[in-house]
Amino acid sequence: MNENMKKSDSIIQLKHINKDFKILNRHEGLKGSFQDLFSRDYKIVKAVNDVSLDITQGEIVGYLGPNGAGKSTTIKMMTGVLEPTSGEILVNGRVPYQNREANANNIGVVFGQRSQLWWSLPLIESFKILKDIYRIPDKDYKDMLELYATMIDLEALYGKPVRQMSLGQRTLSDILAAFLHNPSVVFLDEPTIGLDVSMKAKIRTLISELNSRKNTTVILTTHDMGDVDALCKRIVIIDKGTMLYDNDIEHLRRFFGAYRTLKINLNKRGAVPSDDEKKKQPENVQKVLSKQFKAVDFSIEPDEEWVSILIDESQIPLMKVLSFLQEQMKIYDVRVEEISTESVIKKIYEGRG
Amino acid sequence: MRKLKFYARIYFKILGQDIKSRMSYRSDFIISMIGMLFTNAVELAAFYIMFQNFNSVCGWSYYEMLFLYGFSLVALTPMQCLFENNWNLNGYVKRGDFIKYCFRPLNIFFYYISEIFDIKGLGQLAMGIGTLIFSWHKLQIPVTPLVLIKLILALASASLFFIGMMNFAAASCFYLINTGFLINTVSKFRDYAKYPVTIFNRGFRFLFTFIIPIAFIAYYPSLSVVRPDSASVLTWITPVYGSLFFYASCKFWMHGAGKYTGTGS
Amino acid sequence: MNRSERINSGLNIRAYLTLIRSSIIEYMQYRMSVVVMLFGNVVYLVIIYNLWKAIYASVDTPTVGGMTFTDTMIYLVLASAQFCFMEAYLVWEMGWGIQSGNIVLQLLRPISFETYQLFVIAGANLFNFVLTFIPTFFIIQIVTDWPIPMGVNLLYYIVAAALGGLINFAVDFFVGTICLYTQSIWGINIMKQLMVTFLSGATIPLAFFPETLRKIVMFLPFHAIYNTPLTLLIHNDLPMSEIGKMLLTQLLWAVLMMAVAGGFWKVSEKVITVNGG
Repeated sequence: MNENMKKSDSIIQLKHINKDFKILNRHEGLKGSFQDLFSRDYKIVKAVNDVSLDITQGEIVGYLGPNGAGKSTTIKMMTGVLEPTSGEILVNGRVPYQNREANANNIGVVFGQRSQLWWSLPLIESFKILKDIYRIPDKDYKDMLELYATMIDLEALYGKPVRQMSLGQRTLSDILAAFLHNPSVVFLDEPTIGLDVSMKAKIRTLISELNSRKNTTVILTTHDMGDVDALCKRIVIIDKGTMLYDNDIEHLRRFFGAYRTLKINLNKRGAVPSDDEKKKQPENVQKVLSKQFKAVDFSIEPDEEWVSILIDESQIPLMKVLSFLQEQMKIYDVRVEEISTESVIKKIYEGRG
Repeated sequence: MRKLKFYARIYFKILGQDIKSRMSYRSDFIISMIGMLFTNAVELAAFYIMFQNFNSVCGWSYYEMLFLYGFSLVALTPMQCLFENNWNLNGYVKRGDFIKYCFRPLNIFFYYISEIFDIKGLGQLAMGIGTLIFSWHKLQIPVTPLVLIKLILALASASLFFIGMMNFAAASCFYLINTGFLINTVSKFRDYAKYPVTIFNRGFRFLFTFIIPIAFIAYYPSLSVVRPDSASVLTWITPVYGSLFFYASCKFWMHGAGKYTGTGS
Repeated sequence: MNRSERINSGLNIRAYLTLIRSSIIEYMQYRMSVVVMLFGNVVYLVIIYNLWKAIYASVDTPTVGGMTFTDTMIYLVLASAQFCFMEAYLVWEMGWGIQSGNIVLQLLRPISFETYQLFVIAGANLFNFVLTFIPTFFIIQIVTDWPIPMGVNLLYYIVAAALGGLINFAVDFFVGTICLYTQSIWGINIMKQLMVTFLSGATIPLAFFPETLRKIVMFLPFHAIYNTPLTLLIHNDLPMSEIGKMLLTQLLWAVLMMAVAGGFWKVSEKVITVNGG
């Protein structure tokens, strides 16, 4: 799909990017530590391996992968902090590591939980300093603050020194600070980690609103599928430095859409199954199903009082399974669920491992 | 030039805000001030105890030594006040937090250093000036415009040396792992800057002049005022040499920051 | 109940040993720092040497305050070597932990916070002792032709240094706890460090102190950190009663200071639970 895009629309381009790190081979234990004092035993680790990306102005891209997959490394390269070992990279038409300062003028970054605001200053004073640093014209600055005021309750935030803020308030402030100079790209690394549900929702709404109002490109890394489902139309998955998937989220689900989950409840309404029953019921269902449909794989597990059956509909229609089960046992309740993004991604990782 | 103006504007903005917010943490401010004065009081006491037992060191009288001490205190102040964040660098790098300084459209060294202004250094400055004036008076050095200019120039270049040394020590953590002790070690050398370098043999005189240049923090520059007759060429080249040394240290710092790859994140 | 308690305490000892071990391993990871640290110490020692040689050269008598140049040198060099292995920057660590809130994580461990810190510091001290103090000691012995007898005084030193280390830890832990109440880590730390090094005789031997000041200093716990172990190491001719008195004084200080530090922490811990770090 990327080939169809107009070149002028593309804001970030990565072409065959590689990044290697040289790492000392450490030995275990006390003796090993002594050895390491004099060791010259290095190994090369490929943190990012032949990654190519093309991101358009205004997109929100979910950048996913397990810990140590190379997400942060890629982002550091896009922000100009790291120089790739090989490959071409362009952000806003610039090579970031050659023009770090110029590049920084056009991007905003919220990196992990490391607040970039001045720890002891009230938020509004930090904003004033940022206004000078990014040379934001008075009018733009005023407009932006007005826009912010329509989105969240700023009064509570402005006068407060960052060190006294809760994690949620701090994250919120960091995101506002990252958008303040109206950059064309904002990088958000794990913006909702450690936050409660309502704060997560607040932050997602804020990001999505700022994205649509300012047409800001957002690159979002996260482990929280809630973030992905709420914000990202396109996702990129990376593991062990290699890109596994780059397409829209619908496509991803459709690809795995053949899977659906059938949930049945074998207990009378209101009855709570014992632990023993919870274990037995799925085993029983498994037995019955594998006897009838010998060639089909089911993955069956207990889920609270439910028995959950993952069905590959390319092998057998869900309704057929259900009607068969209905003949075999008394079913009190039924649910059908689409596979979640989380399980899809888990499947992708598993497919590799 | 426009860039310089831009940086100056941002620096003073951050500095002003920082001082304002520090003042609002009154107990911290007071304790730090007391700590600073306490430090200098203890050092003076140690000084006094030494001269109770020994009347002179290498032909330097009590008041001459006191002048060197006061001079070194004043010369150390700019590092204390303006470049204090160097002390935290190793910690930031070790924890992987240094990365947060890399996303602004500013020179990283400038941005990092601008973050903290250490107001308690002013206590040291006051103490140093007091000691200088007292010993100056006791030594009966005439007060002429020429001597004053010499003194100010000497103090400025001496400061550059110390800042440079601390820059080198702090930035070493970009190149090697966990070098927090290094800035401690270099800072410990500062305690010996207040002695005449002539107490060392030739090898170490060379070391402290050209390699770890603590002799430039007080001895060489202050010769121009306190013993102009025995001032050598080293005294007179101090301003040039100091500027070069400082410049090299900034380059070393920036080069290190460029090498930095966010260890562990 | 009793049985399980006993099992628990058995496990705990193993946990403590693991703490010491892992703290040593962590130091090992930083291989370059070890080399530079040694180099730094050598330069530092040379400075002290030259300084005092010049100072002694400025007076006519060979002894000052009852100490010859060699006595002073040996004392100061060993004092600085002892400082190197004892100073583990606990106040800074605690201060940072408190300010960043990371201290909460350490409170979750199934070991008391004070004990945990004690064993981590003990590991660091042990590592630095082997790596800095022992080489320094032998270098001095060789350079100055074995002025320190290699007898039972070594044993006294090890006991006294361990007790001194314990007192030092208690002081650090006490001062670190103060950081719960103030943001001023630097101010607190610098005052502590100066108080300890100056009043314990690590910067200037106590023998040089004016009479009255020396008397006051002897009533404070700090001299037990540096002066006592070093005196026991250097002087071989002390009567048994004197040695016993010195070690007993140390022991009393150690017990008292540990109790005070522990009690102060107990009282202050609530600050964390109330403020949530």
